[in-house]
Amino acid sequence: MTAPPRKLSLDEWDARYAQLASAGLPEPDYGGPLRRHVLLEGDLRLRRLRFDNSAAALRLWNFLLTENQRLHAARARGEKIIGTMKDLGTVPVMAYSLPGLRAFYPDGAWWTPCLMECSDGLLQQAEQLGIDASFCPVRAMLAAFQNGEHFPRPDALICSTGAVCDDFSAIAQRLEKMGFPIVWWEMPRRRPPDAGETTCALPGNLSAPQVQVDCVREELARLGQVLSGLAGQPLDTDTLARGIREANRVRRLLAALRRAVYTSPGAPLPALELLVAEMLALHFCSDREETIGVLTDLLAEAEARLRQSQFVAAKDAVRVFWVNPVADLRAMNLLEDWGGRVCGSDYMFTHALDLIPEDLPPLEALARTALADPMVGSTLDRARRIVADCRIGRAEAAVVSRIPGASHCAREGAIIRDVVRAELGIPTIELEVPPISDAMLPTLASRLQALLETAKARR
Amino acid sequence: MQVFHTSPWVPPEWIKAHGLEPRGVWLAQDFACEPLPLAAGVCAFANAAVRLAEQQSQSAVIFTTHCDQLRRGFDAVATPPTNLDAPESCRRFPLSPSDSPRCRAVAAGGERAGVRGPSSPAVSGPQCAPKGRGFLSRLFLFNLPVTWQTPVAERIFCDELRRLGQFLIGLGGHAPTTGDLVEIMAQYSEGRRRLLAVAPWCPARAYAEAVARFHLDGSVHLPPEAGDRTASGADSVPLAVVGGPLPQAQLPLLDAIEKAGGRVVLNATEAGERSLWSAPPLGQAQLDLARLARGWLANCVDVFQRPNTRLYDWLRERLTARKVRGIVLWHYVGCDLWRAEAQPMRAAFGLPVLLLDADEAMPQRNTGRLEAFLESLR
Repeated sequence: MTAPPRKLSLDEWDARYAQLASAGLPEPDYGGPLRRHVLLEGDLRLRRLRFDNSAAALRLWNFLLTENQRLHAARARGEKIIGTMKDLGTVPVMAYSLPGLRAFYPDGAWWTPCLMECSDGLLQQAEQLGIDASFCPVRAMLAAFQNGEHFPRPDALICSTGAVCDDFSAIAQRLEKMGFPIVWWEMPRRRPPDAGETTCALPGNLSAPQVQVDCVREELARLGQVLSGLAGQPLDTDTLARGIREANRVRRLLAALRRAVYTSPGAPLPALELLVAEMLALHFCSDREETIGVLTDLLAEAEARLRQSQFVAAKDAVRVFWVNPVADLRAMNLLEDWGGRVCGSDYMFTHALDLIPEDLPPLEALARTALADPMVGSTLDRARRIVADCRIGRAEAAVVSRIPGASHCAREGAIIRDVVRAELGIPTIELEVPPISDAMLPTLASRLQALLETAKARR
Repeated sequence: MQVFHTSPWVPPEWIKAHGLEPRGVWLAQDFACEPLPLAAGVCAFANAAVRLAEQQSQSAVIFTTHCDQLRRGFDAVATPPTNLDAPESCRRFPLSPSDSPRCRAVAAGGERAGVRGPSSPAVSGPQCAPKGRGFLSRLFLFNLPVTWQTPVAERIFCDELRRLGQFLIGLGGHAPTTGDLVEIMAQYSEGRRRLLAVAPWCPARAYAEAVARFHLDGSVHLPPEAGDRTASGADSVPLAVVGGPLPQAQLPLLDAIEKAGGRVVLNATEAGERSLWSAPPLGQAQLDLARLARGWLANCVDVFQRPNTRLYDWLRERLTARKVRGIVLWHYVGCDLWRAEAQPMRAAFGLPVLLLDADEAMPQRNTGRLEAFLESLR
């Protein structure tokens, strides 16, 4: 079943799937050929993407693309569905600690217009609700709640607010006015400790005053009561500690996978698959145990390829650090097509990749991790981590990918770009990737190619 | 020293009680008066706040976290220039041997003067280069909680007041005495009471200027009462202007509304009537910061709050009482928080809502939209 690594189109994957199936590929219950997602779910964008040819990648894609069906199935089994919003990686750790709860991020609907090439009509529906293109594509979430055609209506909605994007905060508020009650919890803007304040070390080499950690911890305790009520079982210290250990299993696997792929001479797995894999850290794609299986397979595939010096992006590809997730998944393919590879990333949730401390009381540990969110601190903090990670990945260039309409993108890109340039002296650009970037290809191509050429010329 | 603040929810009484002069930016000289180069998506108001901060050599500026644009505007202005020639340890905040311990403390903390202890001496301008440590030491980011129904929100607000106090003392202010604070709060309360009393009849432009003047220096200058205003404007359409900041450069909007046949009977912009909160009662015995914070937070009525039901309750009462027939929803380009409320406001109040943005390049477009809106309401 093994084959030299390469990227396949959807058409090529049909033949590859037949080959794997005839060879007796064991598959999970959500397995099957990738094409069915186009035919049955309308995920038209898959026709434009190029996928890694491994069985591990097949499992990853099938896992990702069946999430809504799996959520509906969980609901049918009597499990409680928790919509967690905006905190990206914190509340799901609590929810998955309790039996019978399944947490997911409705925020993830922001990729639906891309995957369905806007045939879903979500962005148009959001516009009819007064949320137009001046808002970030996460506005698709609002329409997805309204039409109920994607994920099941959650039994509870929990949304972090405070130092979060205005787009999201405004859209979530609209959601509540549409009849979806929300439990709001405060995430203060992280600040450095003042003189005389007790300092708390946070994951990611960050720090915050204990008083802020205390506030977040109390808010999480309040959420714990909500979740306990839904589960019919208290979220006590031991239960949460077990949940944290399981979350850390996922994070350790991801850390190993990122290290293997980002720091190797060539890329053993494509950037697109790594982006999807990193996203699994947020809410385990609604199935924590299966996430562990998916990541274990991917890591094994990457390590096997490394042992054989097999790469999907050649050793001479320009090593690019990528900042912010792309609204159009195809952009990650294009970077590699044009001679680049991703050697590090900050997709706005580095705190969901860091290990949650296991030597602290669990709520305290989770509060510290939540406060390490790169989006709730200063842009300079974020830029510093990017610089450090660029060094680890030996980045030759950096891309700050703007999310159309996103309030944080108006300012942060310039700051990150300036700091990265000044600290590392590598070429850096900002570019905007819309949900469907086909019409922008000439612009994207010229900007990315110029960046890659500049980086190559500096070798 | 003047201390500019960008939100009416930072209590000016607290600044004044520390011996410094609170200055709301809305009527500040030259604030937002010139078109500035804008990157895509940047709010012009937040940009003007950044420019104001950059231009201050002797005054301090308080940003707030209540919106992404101001929060990240602070990041933009507070990010010091990097210097690759400096030693690695100093690269992000270049230091020289002559820099004071305070400069070094600020450099290490990277956010504000509050990283030093309250007893440290003040930084004088010549010690630090423009946009260096002295500059940074005059910037403060006030964390306004977005939630308001929990003890945590009150504690965050209280903690910010404490930090702000230390910041003000670091600027040369002094710790407030209870007596001073009681007196200052009474003065501000009286000013707000007087301004609220004239809200129903005061001409829109004059009222906006009076409230902005109050935010600028605490003074109250009311125009002479001009009889029954309702009668004099019987043919005009009563409107509410609701939304974000309306600095002096944008005040002609109010004239344009009246010229088009409207009558602004409710100014619910950021620094309008909505910002005239009632001061919480303060006991004479002891300065209870937690109680003060609870009182001040309880008066905050704004779109950024979650949930923002208090804003709707506040508006509903006044829209009904003043027989408002239409709402002008005023917002800056890029302000998601206000822009998203247009449809809910239509639904909640059953009134037509006109979205107007502060697009400096197209004032004529706003006039045309206003005229059409009012024509449709007659």
